[in-house]
Amino acid sequence: MEYFTISLLNGTVYGLLLFMVSAGLTLIFGMMGVLNFAHTSFYMLGAYFAYTLQKYISFWPSIILATVLAGGGGIVVERYFLRRVHRYGHAHELLLTFGLSYIIAELIKLFYGNYPTNYRVPESLHFSAFQIFGTDYPVYRLLMGGISLGMFLLVYLLLSRTRVGIVVRSAIYRPRMAEALGHNVPLVFMGVFGVGAALAGLAGAVAGAFYTTNPNMALELGVIVFVVVVVGGLGSLEGAMLASLIIGLSSSFAVGIDLSLVDLFAFFGAGEWAQGLGGLMELKVSSLSATIPFALMLIILLVRPSGLLGEKG
Amino acid sequence: MTAPILSMDAVHKSFGDAHIIRGVDIELLAGERRAVIGPNGAGKSTLFHLISGQLKPDKGQIILNDQEIQGLPPQRINHLGLARSFQITNIFPGLTVFENVRIAVSQRHGLQYSLWRLIDRIHNVSEQTDSIMEKVRLSANRDTLAGELSYSEQRALEIGMTLASDPRVILLDEPMAGMSHEETDYMVALIREVTQGRSLLIVEHDMDVVFSLSDRISVLVYGELIATGTPDEIRNDSRVQEAYLGEEVSA
Amino acid sequence: MKHSRFLILAAIVLLFALPAILSHSLVNAVNQMLIAALFACAFNLLCGQAGMLSFGHAAYFGIGAFATLHAMGIMGQESLLPTPLLPLAGACVGFLSGLAAGWFSTKRTGVYFSMITLALAELLHTMAPHLRSLFGGEAGLSGMRYPALGLTFGSDIHVYYLTLVWVLGAIGLQYYITLTPYGRLVLALRENSHRLSFLGYNVHHLGTLTFALSAMLTGIAGGLQAISIEASNYAIFDMHLSSEVVLNTYIGGVNVFLGPILGAAVMTFFGNAASDLTRNWLLYKGIIFVLVMMFMPTGIAGLVMMLTANLRKYSALLLWPVLLLSCIATFLLTMGTVFTVEMMQRILSQDYQMLAQMSDGGEWPPVQLFGRQWLPGSLISWGLPVVLFVAGGYFVKLAKNRWRVLQEASSDQSSETDSIHNLGEMTTESEHELNEREKA
Repeated sequence: MEYFTISLLNGTVYGLLLFMVSAGLTLIFGMMGVLNFAHTSFYMLGAYFAYTLQKYISFWPSIILATVLAGGGGIVVERYFLRRVHRYGHAHELLLTFGLSYIIAELIKLFYGNYPTNYRVPESLHFSAFQIFGTDYPVYRLLMGGISLGMFLLVYLLLSRTRVGIVVRSAIYRPRMAEALGHNVPLVFMGVFGVGAALAGLAGAVAGAFYTTNPNMALELGVIVFVVVVVGGLGSLEGAMLASLIIGLSSSFAVGIDLSLVDLFAFFGAGEWAQGLGGLMELKVSSLSATIPFALMLIILLVRPSGLLGEKG
Repeated sequence: MTAPILSMDAVHKSFGDAHIIRGVDIELLAGERRAVIGPNGAGKSTLFHLISGQLKPDKGQIILNDQEIQGLPPQRINHLGLARSFQITNIFPGLTVFENVRIAVSQRHGLQYSLWRLIDRIHNVSEQTDSIMEKVRLSANRDTLAGELSYSEQRALEIGMTLASDPRVILLDEPMAGMSHEETDYMVALIREVTQGRSLLIVEHDMDVVFSLSDRISVLVYGELIATGTPDEIRNDSRVQEAYLGEEVSA
Repeated sequence: MKHSRFLILAAIVLLFALPAILSHSLVNAVNQMLIAALFACAFNLLCGQAGMLSFGHAAYFGIGAFATLHAMGIMGQESLLPTPLLPLAGACVGFLSGLAAGWFSTKRTGVYFSMITLALAELLHTMAPHLRSLFGGEAGLSGMRYPALGLTFGSDIHVYYLTLVWVLGAIGLQYYITLTPYGRLVLALRENSHRLSFLGYNVHHLGTLTFALSAMLTGIAGGLQAISIEASNYAIFDMHLSSEVVLNTYIGGVNVFLGPILGAAVMTFFGNAASDLTRNWLLYKGIIFVLVMMFMPTGIAGLVMMLTANLRKYSALLLWPVLLLSCIATFLLTMGTVFTVEMMQRILSQDYQMLAQMSDGGEWPPVQLFGRQWLPGSLISWGLPVVLFVAGGYFVKLAKNRWRVLQEASSDQSSETDSIHNLGEMTTESEHELNEREKA
């Protein structure tokens, strides 16, 4: 029971964090058809910006400023890089963002060194929210979950209730039509790109203090976030939320399961036979926790390529 | 000219709530030139997609040469002797004209998995490629990139590629769209010549072309065939007049 | 055409003669270049020729390497194949795994294809350390080259010739394939797979076969790597290797057969040369890649082709001022970038920061760079790169103006260069169109 509750809590918070990063990515893809490889670079930039700013100003202002800076970075990337190569097609845009993510990671290594920083949760937030099964549950985890949820609500309301939201949605689903109706689609693109990057930056600024802040964090999270948007359905915000939670929970639960295929076969009385096969059979679920998201993505891509809640085929 | 080479039997197709093809029966005879006409949105292109394997019918049978083909992938249908052109030019823009036609010709020589023969040494492929280019009058553009051809040349290339597999049934989807008068005349002559001894199903908006080229005409309105007959019969059919010709021919 | 044939022949002769000319460590470097070149070439069969961008080619490189190690005989086991034939193991296992992976991934196109390849590679990457018998756990596997055919394969020279023969053979085979009916179809697959299926071709089988062949050649490259270092571990499956090959291939130019080979060889060479001089080679590489993607989408090979076409069109006499100005501009901008990056790196390094803190509010100590001392606080240290950038920008402008004048002067002549330009743009544009069609 303890394992279940803790895993549930941790998995949910991790899932919410994944959502914060993948929200921008999935919106950008839906709108521009660009799979932005550099998206998690903004997550990393957010963390490093916040870490740097904290030396000069207090925690919350530096989080906010880091978010704004990451958003500014996103606008620069869209305006001065992506727009220039738009005419060469999506594959080209994908490759360009790929190159940019490479440069950003190397620049981070140049400025901060190729090792984890000591970015930590500030003392004032370092206390437990409640006791559960005799252990303290850190309040910061709840805070991360809360920020992510709040952001989901905000973005959702913005998209569904406001005029700006309607324009953005129309630009996502029918960019040509929106342009013909006189909306400034390039501006909308730039705006969404900036907001997406800012969200990723916020996630990085907040989560970097709790998990680790290192030059590989963009790449490590990057592949998982791709999984999230593909599983959820490229372009679907709700899908991204659902997929984030599924992946957050499944990785969190898998870590604690020490069963393997051998045990499954043992259940049917063929345990020794399976043990004899070795290899894949003996792999424990816990050691596969990093593998599960990719397996899930493959299954989704083959069975339902538009994703769980994707609208575009 | 008696046995049908291609027939559709009660074929239906819907997209969501939109019921586009509502029970079409059609019989194309061997050697026949048949036009399908109808107002925009009648489902003509969908009909072609169903026959050529781009779409699967929801209900009904499509029979090519005594074999059911509904739901088969496009390449299988092509193997059974049916080739099509597209309404929007559909070629290999970054390859030369010669290469475009040669790829289309290679197919009937079963060369898909040939990894050990040099293609330039396979003489009958080159010869057939040259003869098709000559037929569609593109020999002079042999080494031009297909994407750089003029619009009507691209349409001619499209037809050349359609012919290359030596099909028994040819589907042409609006081959004259966007062409000038001279180009159209040339294209009509070309189509008449190259479809000699084959069956043709053609969708076309230019009524002069339709009436001069086809042996029989079928009229498709809102997913249903309302009439089939010789050009004269269709001209005089009151329902056709009402549903379709009334607006366009007299206008 | 005759010129290029002669050049290639000369290059091959030179490659065979290299061990007599170069030192051992340099021969080793060339060995690495050859392997990288084969890898990029194999990758380009899928990416450039068939138009399917894979982000997980490290998987097949790694599979080839481990298969070869197993064939070599791990920890003193008997070898399954004589040493010169070991890459065959990489080729076979590479082909089979490519067949399986390709069957899955080529069911989808565009971004989805790329994502499946990435997922498959990451799947393998995350599982590999747990599959001890196959990949030797975290530590990896090591083997030993056995003597064969009267050769010991103990020296680097033997290994070099083994690599050279296999790389030339594999690249030659791949070139031969481009001249076969199947090879022409691969290009059509990139151009318009939709049309291909209506011409009676099974596009899925074609794509799978191409994937498998690409994986096979990649497997050979992996096998050669395993032979030359006699070991491998699961880190070979890392995303980094997949990224490297994408970078090398595009920097070289995907539209020309020799492009990726050139790109990989050049980048590996500079990588080796630069690793002694700078720690920031990967940063430069990323910058080069982004610049290529933005301003020179046809890569190095495209640049060479444009140059030769222009040399044919204009006399060298007219062209050389433009070339000279461009070279000066490139040089100045490169120097500016390198100076800034290296300066930053030295100032930001941990050692230097410690020194700076010790200076205790006083002036920061000077930095040693390009054989000179630079004070971080002085105007010269930061003024120099600014001057370099401004001057570089000025020369870019001069070169552009010259070029425009030259073009206007001969605008009535046939536009050979334009057609070359268009070639690159058109393929990407048609790709774009296809993507749009897919989305619809």
